[in-house]
Amino acid sequence: MNPAKFGGLAGQILRVDLGSKKISTEETEKYAKNFLGGRTINSYILLKEMDPETKFSDPKNMLIFGVGCLVGTLAPGACRVSIETKSPYSNGKGSANFGGHFGPELKYAGFDHVVITGKSKDPVYLWIHDGEVEIKDAISVWGRNTGETEKILREELGDNRIQVASIGPAGERGVRGSIVFTNPGKAAGGSGVGWVMGAKKLKAIAVRGHGSVRVAEPQRFMAAVNRSLAKIQASPYAQGWRRGIIEAKFLPHSPAWNFFASPRNGQDEFWPLEKRAKLVGLESGVPRYKKRIMACFGCPIGCLPYSEIEEGKYKGTKGVGYWINSATYSTKLDLDDPAASIRYHLMLNELGLDGDMCSTSLAWAFECFEKGLLSKGDCDGLNLRWGDGEAILAMQQKLAYREGIGDFLADGVKESARKLGKGSEFWATHIKGQDSVDPYRAAKGWGFGVAISPVGGRHLRGAVSAPEVTGPRGLKWSPAAYENIPEAVYWQSQAKEIEDMAGFCIFVGTWSGVHALEVSDYTELMSSALGIDLIEKDLMKIARKGVNLEKAFNTLHAGFDRTDDYPPRRYMEEPVQSGPHAGSRCDKERWDEMLDRFYELNGWDKKTGWPTWKGLEELGLGEVAARLKKVGRLK
Amino acid sequence: MELVLNSGACNGCRICELACSFHHQGVFAPEYSSLKVSNDYREGKIHLSLEATCDFCLQESQPMCVQYCVTGALKKGRENEPS
Repeated sequence: MNPAKFGGLAGQILRVDLGSKKISTEETEKYAKNFLGGRTINSYILLKEMDPETKFSDPKNMLIFGVGCLVGTLAPGACRVSIETKSPYSNGKGSANFGGHFGPELKYAGFDHVVITGKSKDPVYLWIHDGEVEIKDAISVWGRNTGETEKILREELGDNRIQVASIGPAGERGVRGSIVFTNPGKAAGGSGVGWVMGAKKLKAIAVRGHGSVRVAEPQRFMAAVNRSLAKIQASPYAQGWRRGIIEAKFLPHSPAWNFFASPRNGQDEFWPLEKRAKLVGLESGVPRYKKRIMACFGCPIGCLPYSEIEEGKYKGTKGVGYWINSATYSTKLDLDDPAASIRYHLMLNELGLDGDMCSTSLAWAFECFEKGLLSKGDCDGLNLRWGDGEAILAMQQKLAYREGIGDFLADGVKESARKLGKGSEFWATHIKGQDSVDPYRAAKGWGFGVAISPVGGRHLRGAVSAPEVTGPRGLKWSPAAYENIPEAVYWQSQAKEIEDMAGFCIFVGTWSGVHALEVSDYTELMSSALGIDLIEKDLMKIARKGVNLEKAFNTLHAGFDRTDDYPPRRYMEEPVQSGPHAGSRCDKERWDEMLDRFYELNGWDKKTGWPTWKGLEELGLGEVAARLKKVGRLK
Repeated sequence: MELVLNSGACNGCRICELACSFHHQGVFAPEYSSLKVSNDYREGKIHLSLEATCDFCLQESQPMCVQYCVTGALKKGRENEPS
């Protein structure tokens, strides 16, 4: 192994072609000097090397794992891995991200990134250990769920400290909303990253490393670590995530509590307090099943409850999972049974299904059933009634295995609505071709951030909830108003790029508001670890490069423009029905004003939404500008 | 001196492994850590173990693992000794 010149990095990028079985390596430094790490390096490689004519389904599609440049060090909460690909939903930028213990193990094995191309003839898994790589027969794990896969590979390879990232039955069967899963209960969801892995016949990556990560200036770095830990310990929001997340978003004292529900497939954006209390209340809801908290690598918060159900029809259900996804999913399907919610969440992880994608597809089908467009016969004998836990669990199974109605739904809600027609397109909530689970109408900064997300209707680019929790300091804005939303989303999209570059979890940073980690903390941690002189302004500029790499990929590969940055039609035409935000909807005129301002801030063309020569040149992305100019998609 | 390991209070974050390896080698590497954390996510069990390489960080005010532990799973002292 070559020791990295930069601190923080493992030093090498691994390239594996599953078709030719060719394996090679290159130095990370060549990319790190411009893009530092994680998602930003992934985005650069994807944009530079993929031919826009190559479709997502082509074996030449790339699947790139990128570990943040601070992962493996004591930088608190830096454990995350970004996965980039060409999205099966859109042919645009596909991106997803997980925590857990896989990323640091990959660095201790000597690699910062793994770039996978080609398609294997038979199912395989990658075994990466201390600088060595083997492509191994996956016959023992193909067909298995994700938990079994981890267990079998650890036994087969004889080491229980091996970390595994795998797909489940859903990814093997080409279900669009498939995840790449790793423990403890962490899913890289969205963008069909599990679909791409399954199409390559790659069941899993197993990794074990006995190496180390060094930092350039140890004393300065440890001082920054100590300050960072103190800030996280003092942050009420960071500690709220530890208490099982629910308090931060779903109980009445949270500033965000009235904004995050889209009951019955988004027919409303208000869920009555009795239902919330039943699902997430500390006494009656999901917390009553908590046995302990488990954590990702190096995380001073620990947000993952291990739950066990000891009575009732879900008796025997146990495992580690993440409650907030359950809450989002549950409101979408109007389910207030906490035991069923824990059951389906753990089942999603085992099946390798994404909760946001799955709940959006299921909720669309439930609404079709309610409105008489799908019958019991169409649904394999199931009554798709809102809040019916048994029906939801049965539908998940069908979706993962593409059985009956599950096969009909498996390519995402846009495709399902196209096949069924009869007006069902109106309640098919998707952006840029991808199912979108989030609410849009009450919280303007959330809706806008989700709609402009380059990865299609997702909340992990620029979405902001409430000024106490997310967004920049010192800017005046409020969740229910349009004012200054573009500015807040512009900042948030860059801050999140930095978090993905370094590998930070949002719960130690920009989703924990005042007192938790800020860009100034990231700057000091990255400067002292990597051994490069950075000031906050530099880091934000590198983040803008990352934002523009994603924009350019979408412009070049998917042909996205301004028309792709609006919310689903339902949310513009149908107002919220009840609660404090009744009557609220996404106003077209105000949306246009927000888009104009957001494009202006980013240096993008207002009419088309495309990047501009000037904007890209200022960021040192002239080579990207030249490619866009060549195909006439640059202003 | 001894370390009291309380696996029941641990959340499995392995910050102690990082702090310990930094103490021994000045780098971050669970392999060099005297403390080892084993996570069993299927059963919800965590096991802490201490290897003979532990020197209790005698030159520090507190062992590094204790300093950095956020859950209270690691404490300085003898087993059954009131803290």
